[in-house]
Amino acid sequence: MQIYQKLFKKPWPYLMGGALLAILNIILFASTGEPWKITSGFLYWGAAILEFFGMDPGKWYYFSVYNNGLDSGETFLNNYYSVINLAVIMGALIAALLASEFKWKKIKNKRQLFFGLLGGILMGYGTRLSFGCNIGSYFSAIPSFSLHGWVFGIFMFIGAWIGSKVLFRYLL
Amino acid sequence: MKEVRIDCMYETCPIPLLKALKELKKMEIGDILIMETDHSCSITNVIDWAKKQGHNVDYVEISEGEWEIYIEKMR
Repeated sequence: MQIYQKLFKKPWPYLMGGALLAILNIILFASTGEPWKITSGFLYWGAAILEFFGMDPGKWYYFSVYNNGLDSGETFLNNYYSVINLAVIMGALIAALLASEFKWKKIKNKRQLFFGLLGGILMGYGTRLSFGCNIGSYFSAIPSFSLHGWVFGIFMFIGAWIGSKVLFRYLL
Repeated sequence: MKEVRIDCMYETCPIPLLKALKELKKMEIGDILIMETDHSCSITNVIDWAKKQGHNVDYVEISEGEWEIYIEKMR
């Protein structure tokens, strides 16, 4: 019972969490040739929805100029990122259920909905300008010895600092 | 001695902690802040933070997955 409490109910120490994430990311990179990325998968899901409604985002400039990360034979829905993203959601669900902390959350009010959507759009837009979120462009970039991870990190901290000031002063 | 109630239901980190911080700034020593939350992380981070600040703090689970946190401003 005590082991159960320790393993599933109580939060793990940050150091252990960090080390585990690093080891898992190395295993992922070694076995698939791609480090962990998240938001590209969301981009493809969005594109898949547009495709469903008859548009052809695959022809967009964005996907033709930059390497879009999809191998031949993969589609906007059936690709590496979809598998990883669904696995993350499944893993988080299992962890929440094991800790018996799963709960449906309500939307508090229109204001929360509005700022939630606005924040989501800003984050999504930002990830496409930087080719990744704090996972793909930071957590996976720095261990790859890529300079862009450090640049991303510095500006992420500046942005978070400004954001928390704005949040505290004007939005709470 | 005053009681202030803040509603943090359906809000996630770091909103409950920041709301408590902002509200406590306006309060007098000895006043009590009551927070309603359904966010289990708040039970950890708000309580750790309030203890570190030297306030008296306690919490009860008022219904399944919903808590009230009581913080008595000490300084």
